Amino acid sequence: MQELTNNALMLKVKSGELDKLGLLYERHKKRLFGFFYNMNNNASVSEDLVQNVFERMLKYKHTFTGEGSFTAWMFQTARNVNYDYYRKNRIAFNQIDVTAVDYKMEASENTDKLLHQKDDVKVLNKAMKLLAPEKREVLVLSKLKELKFSEVAEILGCTEGAAKVKAHRALKDLRAIFLQLETR
Amino acid sequence: MEKEKFEIWMIEFLSGELDEKGQQEFLNFIENNPEHQEEFNAVSNTWEGIDAFDIPEPSKKMDDSFFDMLHLKVENQESPKLDWFQKLSSVFNTIQKPQLAFGMLLLVIGLSVGYFLNSKPDPKVIEVGNVSNTETEQVREQLVLTLLEQPSANKRLQGMNEAAKLNDATERVIEALFTTLNKDQNINVRLVAIESLAKYADTPVVRMGLVKSIALQESPLVQLALADLMVALQEKTSIESMKELLQQPDIDNTVKQKLQESINHII
Repeated sequence: MQELTNNALMLKVKSGELDKLGLLYERHKKRLFGFFYNMNNNASVSEDLVQNVFERMLKYKHTFTGEGSFTAWMFQTARNVNYDYYRKNRIAFNQIDVTAVDYKMEASENTDKLLHQKDDVKVLNKAMKLLAPEKREVLVLSKLKELKFSEVAEILGCTEGAAKVKAHRALKDLRAIFLQLETR
Repeated sequence: MEKEKFEIWMIEFLSGELDEKGQQEFLNFIENNPEHQEEFNAVSNTWEGIDAFDIPEPSKKMDDSFFDMLHLKVENQESPKLDWFQKLSSVFNTIQKPQLAFGMLLLVIGLSVGYFLNSKPDPKVIEVGNVSNTETEQVREQLVLTLLEQPSANKRLQGMNEAAKLNDATERVIEALFTTLNKDQNINVRLVAIESLAKYADTPVVRMGLVKSIALQESPLVQLALADLMVALQEKTSIESMKELLQQPDIDNTVKQKLQESINHII
């Protein structure tokens, strides 16, 4: 129902009722901000990028057909905005070769207990920053409660099964980095 | 079980896409498969750990910038004319000021030269005016002649009015006016004819015609009007005509008295 309303609002924006974009902004600003913040850990930049998403939605409103999910369309736009931001600023990602990291499954019991502790969340956050952007992106999108995997797949431009596999592997890579940071 | 299928299944379990039955099925499966149990334990806490990330609230500044942007877009959409004007203004703004000033100066010089050239009288225009006036006179003259021939006294009076508007009467008009003065059945028309002819009293032919007309008039009002006109003109040749009129047996006493006074005035 919520999606239908979102779609209806966006169709009104498309037909010229630009002020309806204000309602969509109020509904989605936090999750968009969260998406960008998880991607770049910079609140100020994230706020600018949220604004860019809505400007771009206005600019390309004619491409919204109302047939698919509005949220998926919005996050596709957000993904493009994020990609352009990195490209324009030529930001180098800190990537580590996760294939070289031992998964250390045997250490899981101890580490899992610690994970809920504050320090471990910080380490996990740090590990997230070290994760490759495309994998980080998959995880951030997968964690959005409002998005089904079918929509995540739509955003990523792949099949639903492929999106799930990507999410799983990104999660394993994140854990590997986390463990590596823990053992240092 | 294939690795990929298990990965998909696990993510479905973690993301809450499985129903209750599906979840139980998954838990039973990993319980019976220790190698998958290990992998599940390893990633499930990481998955939940992501939720614990601290994400700050976006500031009010973000709201302000967004609504400023939206307001601007809505305004631009509502006033396309202004937008067109702004575009035009921006074109003019690109013109550098010295160039604009020079252009304005040239325009002023051009206008001044044009004004002085136009202020000289144009002979062709005057000629056209004369031609136009002559044509009007001719038309009016024709109108007078036509109206004086009309059976209606009103029309003939209208003809007299038109005759009064003529700047200079031609022989045909004078002749028509005298015909009216001497032969018209309506006294009012004859009286107006006297007024019209008085305008051309400087002409000897007209004066002579007026003098002759005195003896031809039978109406006392017309006779009195002519007597007054003769006094005003101090026309001595009219005395004979007036004396001739005095000798008529059926002359009105008032007219008789007036004619004698007029003769005395002229002498």
